[in-house]
Amino acid sequence: MASTSLRARGSKTTLSSSTIAATTTTSATISNAVASTSTGSRAPKLNLTVYRYATWLEENQMKRSAPWIAVASAVLLRWIIGLGPYSGMATPPRYGDYEAQRHWMELTLHRPIRDWYSDKSKWWDLDYPPLTAYVSWICGYIGDKINPEWFAWEASRGFESPDAKLYMRTTVMICELLVYISAVVVFANRWFANKPWTRKHTALLLILMQPGLILIDSGHFQYNAVMLGLVVWAVNSFLADQDVLGSVFFCLALGFKQMALYFAPAVFAYLLGKSFRQGFFGCIWKLIKLGIAVVVTLGLQFAPWLRSQDEILQVVQRIFPLFRGLYQDKVANVWCAVNVVIKLRDIFDIQELVRFSTLATLVSFLPSMLHLIAKPTKRGLIYGLINSSLSFFLLSFQVHEKSILVPALPITLLILDEPATASLFITLATFTMYPLLRQEALAMPYFVLLGLWIWLTSGTFKNASKLLEFSAAVNLLVMSTIHLAEMLVPPPARYPDLYPVLNTLWGAGGFVLYWLYFNYRQFTLVNTPKMGFRVTKTKQT
Amino acid sequence: MKTSEWTLDYPPFFAWFEKFLSLFAAQVDPKIVQLDNLNYDTPATIYFQRTTVIVSELVLYWALQRMLAVMGNRPLQKIINWSLMLNPGLLMVDNMHFQYNGFLYGIMIHSLVDAKQGKLLRSGILFAVLLNFKHIYLYIAPSYFVFLFRAYCFENAGNSIRARSWISAFRPLHFLALGISVIVVFAASLGPFIAMEQLPQLASRLFPFKRGLCHSYWAANFWALYSFADRSLIFLVSKFPVLGQHLNLTLDPAALAATTRGLVGDTAFGILPTVTAQHTLVLTVLLQVPGLIAVFRRPTFDRFVGSVALSAFASFLAGWHVHEKAILLCTVTMSVAIANLVGTSPNSGAGASALTDLRMGGGGVLTSRDVRAFMIVSLAGYIGLWPLFFTREETPVKVLITAIWFVVVGSGLDQCIPRQSKSSAAVEAGPSSAWASRSMLRHYTALERLYLFGTIPVQLYVNLVHEAVFGQDTLAFLPLMITSVYAAVGVVYGWLLYSTAYFSSGKVLDKKKTR
Repeated sequence: MASTSLRARGSKTTLSSSTIAATTTTSATISNAVASTSTGSRAPKLNLTVYRYATWLEENQMKRSAPWIAVASAVLLRWIIGLGPYSGMATPPRYGDYEAQRHWMELTLHRPIRDWYSDKSKWWDLDYPPLTAYVSWICGYIGDKINPEWFAWEASRGFESPDAKLYMRTTVMICELLVYISAVVVFANRWFANKPWTRKHTALLLILMQPGLILIDSGHFQYNAVMLGLVVWAVNSFLADQDVLGSVFFCLALGFKQMALYFAPAVFAYLLGKSFRQGFFGCIWKLIKLGIAVVVTLGLQFAPWLRSQDEILQVVQRIFPLFRGLYQDKVANVWCAVNVVIKLRDIFDIQELVRFSTLATLVSFLPSMLHLIAKPTKRGLIYGLINSSLSFFLLSFQVHEKSILVPALPITLLILDEPATASLFITLATFTMYPLLRQEALAMPYFVLLGLWIWLTSGTFKNASKLLEFSAAVNLLVMSTIHLAEMLVPPPARYPDLYPVLNTLWGAGGFVLYWLYFNYRQFTLVNTPKMGFRVTKTKQT
Repeated sequence: MKTSEWTLDYPPFFAWFEKFLSLFAAQVDPKIVQLDNLNYDTPATIYFQRTTVIVSELVLYWALQRMLAVMGNRPLQKIINWSLMLNPGLLMVDNMHFQYNGFLYGIMIHSLVDAKQGKLLRSGILFAVLLNFKHIYLYIAPSYFVFLFRAYCFENAGNSIRARSWISAFRPLHFLALGISVIVVFAASLGPFIAMEQLPQLASRLFPFKRGLCHSYWAANFWALYSFADRSLIFLVSKFPVLGQHLNLTLDPAALAATTRGLVGDTAFGILPTVTAQHTLVLTVLLQVPGLIAVFRRPTFDRFVGSVALSAFASFLAGWHVHEKAILLCTVTMSVAIANLVGTSPNSGAGASALTDLRMGGGGVLTSRDVRAFMIVSLAGYIGLWPLFFTREETPVKVLITAIWFVVVGSGLDQCIPRQSKSSAAVEAGPSSAWASRSMLRHYTALERLYLFGTIPVQLYVNLVHEAVFGQDTLAFLPLMITSVYAAVGVVYGWLLYSTAYFSSGKVLDKKKTR
């Protein structure tokens, strides 16, 4: 009996993890026992360089050291990118995001906590939620002990030195290591709990190699990994059915960067849907628990500014600066693409645009949200996260090109469940950030990391549908044509922004298709709560 | 016109190579090739120069692919292949520091692979070409000379020749072919300079004996240990003059002044006798001779490739003005020697029977000594390169690439050691705990483990603690000295271990049994 079930498993070459759902508990334990002895021949093989490396590691009994090697390589890669320039390097008067982060350390270090959001120095106002401010304060405090010059009040505006850069890069690296990389390690273990070790490790390596986040955090200079890492911790908790803990993590993510709101509808829908399945009193009790967790976590973070309505309003205005406009620079979303033809900003005033874009966002994430309430599975949660964040990215008000990292996160997490689509999405997402990276002299790291990603994931298209293989080829062709044209032909004088516009148009088109695709996927997932993705502890031999 | 202080001190072929690159450089930016445009480092220049290194390393890639095909595409060979392609030493020296070693080692591996295939003439010509690219390969020239002379110019290469039949075994045509081709290569390289009567000038550039025993900081060799002994004696004698009177030691006042200066410039010894270039030459030759004799008596490729590594070691350990970068010559040749051995594949569970099947193809069998020696020398040697990268932001890079390489390659090679020799190694290593039996370090003796783990606190001190305690300028020589001496201990130990592996293995002993 065991041998037949094994043969059946071996013959399944699809990557869809729904196969696992079919195996009963007994055959699962048998296959686990066999998998530990000769995984290579039984489990469907992936046509990936990284997978072959993982197989090699397993054969050489390096399972224990492998995660450390992976993390060390990830740190090495990020550090090497960090040796390069950062946003606004040596570009007075305003500099860039690096200076913003440095200034916030200076601000939080020297001003009383009440003034953090009402400081009138007209120099990179603190416009991130409180957790960022607290982390800035810690970084500023330690940095001040090392060299007070880095964060001297007012005197350090625009201060740049190799040592200061080294310190700032180190803070990003440590934050990412503690929050994001650790979260991904845990995620790979929980998400692929019933899968062979090689698959877990392949996923871990690919997730850590995602070029977009590396380029923005370690190159451009930001702390996105902290927010994204907290979201992954929230997902990890949801996977282990620790919903209260998960919502605490999610509120921390919200408190670190307001962009985590892109995920909020999905998280809300998942938790609500799950509560509805607990019976009447169970539902109420669960909602009370979750409510308390959310209120307490957010309340503690915002506590210093809760003394008067004005203060709260001041903080909120800083965090959600509606006056900045529909979108920033060039971003591959619907508004920016439509704007090429119809000048929206000339026709409508800002209040109308806010209302209109909010309504559009709401409509676009509503179907996925309702579906998630009806069927709150763990797999559905990830798709819900993708769909709501993509809706926000495409349609909400005031989106940055870097915001694509938010939908890119759950898509990256699905790298072995939807290998071809996910890797193509990451390629496209990284491509849309090129205009920004080029401005900051990060073109070389961009090409190297993106090339590495395309090479590492090229094997995913072998098993994919012809359509997907074709679209990946077309995408590669268009991308390289735009890059080559930009290098060789100067844009016509009438359209100085020709290449960035082409970039955003191509990106926006792709993202709209992805929004459709992932909605379709979410609705067609073969899922009942009973067969949903279970987290069970596999016995390690 | 003021030109650079960085005079050309490589042989002519390398100069032609640079000339070739300059054709492209002039296309990228004419200012790169302007003679009085010194310290020109625009981003475009750096991109261009770094790109030339990466492109030239395709030669190494090609050579490694050939090696894989010729030596057999088995797990051991694959590991060695990756280990060389992503070698931290090469990455540090070529892609961080800036040299073209990957390209040159590519030529060397091509030559060694030719020798393995029995294409000895081509191997010799390639090596002659290599010598005219960079004369550091003179370190291994004795092995090449002995091997080619004995294997190519005499019949019956695989066996010993009785004294009487030496003359009948001689092949004059082969001798002429080899001799003439090598002379042609050297004529192509040096000929123009002989015609211009610049040979003495060229030689003085290539062999700057004025430069002193040790390089700017000590390479991890005998002289590092020797200098360290001298410094320690000076320290002791100057602190406790009684000791000096008692032992009848005299201090050289000039050297005393140099103590704080420590590591820069010409090395003057205070108490121990001064070492001259002749001394180092004699010592180097003496150390090379045993390996050469082994090759001469039975010139097989297995013996040859090991003796190349031993020659490289002898020159590195005892040579005059050795660069720390020369450790690559030892580790790369050792890698090729190990790739020539037979290992087991991790999940074949090969016992003695499977091993005899494997033995049909290649040379000897991989032993734990080979692996231990290789890993210890590599780690020590590459850590000896770390002081080249002294800025703070480079520290994580050099530490991580070395550490990742050590763990991956160390674990991989560990699994290739056949079971047979594992048991003997376990006896050798003595009783070990359950943890150690699973670890990649299970084959290492307690002392070796101590050394390997010892690098962590030592390098923590060198890279972090020292500056935090003393600041940047006080006792600046101390971290450098600690690194050099600690690395030298590892390299010397690894060399001894590898020598015992070489001289006690079937590679050298087989013959006695067959007699």
